[in-house]
Amino acid sequence: MKYDDIMYVLPILSVGIGAVVLMLLSPLKSFSINRLSWTTLLFLVFAFFTNALNFGKVFSVMPFKDVFSSMIIIDTFSGYFTSIILAGGIVTVLVGAHYFEKMNMLRGEVFSLLMFSVFGMLLLVQTLDLLVSFIGLEIASISIYSLMGFQKNNLRRVEGGFRYLILGSIAGIMLLFGTTLIYAGTKSTNILEIAKFISSQIDANMILVVTGGTLILITFLFKIAAFPFQNWSMDAYDGAPLPITAFMASTFKVAIFGFILRFVLVDFHELKNIWNDILFYIAILTMLYGSFLAVFQTALKRMLAASSIVHTGYLLIAFVSISSIGESAATSIIFYLIAYFLSSMGAFGMLSYIASDDHVRVTYEDFRGFAHIRPYMAAMMSIFMLSLAGIPSTIGFIGKFYIFTGAIEAGYTTLAIAGILATFVSVYYYFKLIALMYFYPSSEMTNVPPLKGMPPLIIAVMAILIVWGGIGNTLISYFPGIDFLIDTAKFAYQSLFM
Amino acid sequence: MDIGLLSFIIFLPLVIAFILMVLPFGMKMTRNIAFVTTIVVFLLSLSIFFRFRLADYMQFREFHPWITTYGIYYSLGVDGFSMIILMLTTTLIPLGYLFLWKTKKSKGYWISMLMIQAGVTGALLSLDLILFYFFWESMLLPVFMIIGIYGTGNRIFSTLKITIYTIMGSLFMFVSILYLGVQFYNEFGVWSFQLSDLVQITTMSRTQETLLFFGFMAAFAIKIPIFPFHTWLMQTYSNSPTGGVFILSSIMAKLGIYGIVRFVLPLFPHQYVEFAPYFVGLGIFGLIYFGIAALMQQNIKRMFAYSSASHLAFITAGIFSLNAYGMTGAAFLIVAHAMATGGLFLLTGTIEYDLGIRSISGLGGIAKKAPLLTVAFALMLLSIVGLPGTNGFVSEFLIVLGLFKYNHFAGIISATTVLVAASFMFWMFQRAILVRTDNDVSKMKDLDIKEVVGIFGLALVIIAMGLYPHWFLYKIEPTIQHYLIDILKVGVGS
Repeated sequence: MKYDDIMYVLPILSVGIGAVVLMLLSPLKSFSINRLSWTTLLFLVFAFFTNALNFGKVFSVMPFKDVFSSMIIIDTFSGYFTSIILAGGIVTVLVGAHYFEKMNMLRGEVFSLLMFSVFGMLLLVQTLDLLVSFIGLEIASISIYSLMGFQKNNLRRVEGGFRYLILGSIAGIMLLFGTTLIYAGTKSTNILEIAKFISSQIDANMILVVTGGTLILITFLFKIAAFPFQNWSMDAYDGAPLPITAFMASTFKVAIFGFILRFVLVDFHELKNIWNDILFYIAILTMLYGSFLAVFQTALKRMLAASSIVHTGYLLIAFVSISSIGESAATSIIFYLIAYFLSSMGAFGMLSYIASDDHVRVTYEDFRGFAHIRPYMAAMMSIFMLSLAGIPSTIGFIGKFYIFTGAIEAGYTTLAIAGILATFVSVYYYFKLIALMYFYPSSEMTNVPPLKGMPPLIIAVMAILIVWGGIGNTLISYFPGIDFLIDTAKFAYQSLFM
Repeated sequence: MDIGLLSFIIFLPLVIAFILMVLPFGMKMTRNIAFVTTIVVFLLSLSIFFRFRLADYMQFREFHPWITTYGIYYSLGVDGFSMIILMLTTTLIPLGYLFLWKTKKSKGYWISMLMIQAGVTGALLSLDLILFYFFWESMLLPVFMIIGIYGTGNRIFSTLKITIYTIMGSLFMFVSILYLGVQFYNEFGVWSFQLSDLVQITTMSRTQETLLFFGFMAAFAIKIPIFPFHTWLMQTYSNSPTGGVFILSSIMAKLGIYGIVRFVLPLFPHQYVEFAPYFVGLGIFGLIYFGIAALMQQNIKRMFAYSSASHLAFITAGIFSLNAYGMTGAAFLIVAHAMATGGLFLLTGTIEYDLGIRSISGLGGIAKKAPLLTVAFALMLLSIVGLPGTNGFVSEFLIVLGLFKYNHFAGIISATTVLVAASFMFWMFQRAILVRTDNDVSKMKDLDIKEVVGIFGLALVIIAMGLYPHWFLYKIEPTIQHYLIDILKVGVGS
């Protein structure tokens, strides 16, 4: 019994221990950067595999129920998100170590901070308690603030980090305040208890609960950079070092969605209609604003940051659809998250990898003729762009198919059409990069790192996964294809209600 | 999982393309392997042609689960209409290769050509709408590459333009497909995107159907292009490399027509009949409009681009004429036009290759230097114009007949306009090829043996189809009758 419980908490435990160990190791002169990064990887990979042991079944347990008083839950849902977050951590370490080393920015505490933020995100998706989720959110956020600004002599980074710190803290406070109001209304901070309360008194006056829920929703919208709360993201994404931007834009977003999906699906499945009208417009405005921003960017990093707002909009389409078709809409979010995670992590990862010593290659122009110098890298980059644009034969297409079908099924054809229009605009800014890479003769690009070592390998793996996720079928019967991914997402959803 | 003949036809070029991409072969080796691949595919499709049974509609079916959660199947099949376009594609591409043989492009050119072939045949044979969309969009990428990398002039702008333009149309179709899927799910409780399933939907109102009809038509009208969606055409055609124009004009434009007949017609029969007058009108208008535009062009390639659009408008009028003559003629003209225009673009490519890009007035006297080319050129022109004895005659005659049945005025206008097309074509032929001028054309070389095989192979088919149309027509007639009687319920009109 206790042995089983340990197995369940092993992933988060090893990340937590890893964070502390790395913190203690990092000041040691004898412990080189290289060793630190391998140690980090060791912890993360170990956590990834112990988490993967539970894959393929629908389950829901509360390990050490008495010790944690039902605050921690391990189910298929959290397992699914845990694996994405851990994968995000692994990629960030692999690509990031290379990047920081080249930029002469690498210091030991990077790894410890990264581990802490992974730990916070894991807490966020594995908790049943709103207070714990606040702690998780803050652990993750504070680590990221420091990661953004730890290069103290670069004012732009410090400024970006500081801005994010102030705005992010306000968002955090909203979560805390919302929790307080919900506690005042329901006498509990436990998600399951709140759900019980709401469904038992559905006719009662719920003003406190609804206000609290709204505040928590605002935190969520802020953190995923949805429309009225998106302003921080461009500065923050732009100010942060590339691997950290990647980590924030893909992994952190996944974690936030993991938390809010559980909260909304379990607690508010009877009340969630109340936000639908406003979320409907927020989704449209988010896509509109993001597309508008992305079209005019000249820096690739800013374009990806802006386009990540558009992807938030797509996800919000599915979020709105949850009210009428709970399961398939929630599943489509879960599926889309992995599609988006792979594509954007890959694109950002590639950007950070080819950043050279003398200057960071981040504008469109820097990619002129890239395909003639590094054909394989250009091919991978194209795959990421195609997937982000949702072109068939990539996982991004299946993700969009899933979300738009859900929206039409839920009766939100307008949203689906808005999504299609945003997709259409996105073709321009994604294809522009492909055109630049392929259609110009090679320019005098110097210092492009060769295609060898771990970082390109992991990026290539992501590119292959994207293509397989787009065309994979039952051709090879025991090899998981699209059906497997969709089923896993379904299991994750079902495990919420066990 | 057993692999059927149709899958083989689709995926053989794709697999070879990927292998070639990875292997360090040079351009020549890549080209030779690609050529052999297309020959193999041609032989495979020939075996389909001969084993095709007239009594059945859909044949050589393949059916495998793909994304089962949403009832998406890997579902292929061929009927009389798609068979004739399949034959056209697989015949035309190897012949085109013979012409492109000497182009000094890198191996990516040939790899892209193989990928385009895979995408085109895939779209042609899919019976599941998501699968169709999958191929329909996928074939855009190699086209994007082939124009962008190997094109001339302002190629990057025109590449982005055609890509964004066609994706816009496709996305409207995509929403319509999803909407149909959801409607099917609401009515029957299971997911399916099979064409044969989606036609059973009965719960939609006329307004919904009409909106979806136009969603589908947006994608196809842009691809064909039907007036007024033709604005991408000119730039793309004049900036594409010869292979790109060849593929775009003779094969991909035909897929737009095919899409209308395959999907729009059975899914929205009411709207098809209801809006037929408008599309016949647009078709005839396009025939005249593009004809006049062609008349005024100074560049051969641009002239052919417009004359090609003019013929495609005519085909569009044919498929909306709602009787067996018009539709059979349209199917026949798809083939005839593809061969003639394809041939003409290839021949123009040869002239461009030898002499550089020139206007019509900058040429002249080529006949003396290149007699074989002149003969081939004349043959293709005769087919375009519709001289009796070529397949162009049979098809244009049938369409005019069909339009007469549909409406006398439509018949009269189209009959006279098709004749007008003759004049400017021959005027151009005279100025550019026959009459000797002061322009220096000494660099012009005659066709080499490969090109002779390619172009006269085409000419042979053109004449065979013109003299013995029945050999080919009887394969498509049952399918067309099935469309008209069973789906549109308008009768064959004779």
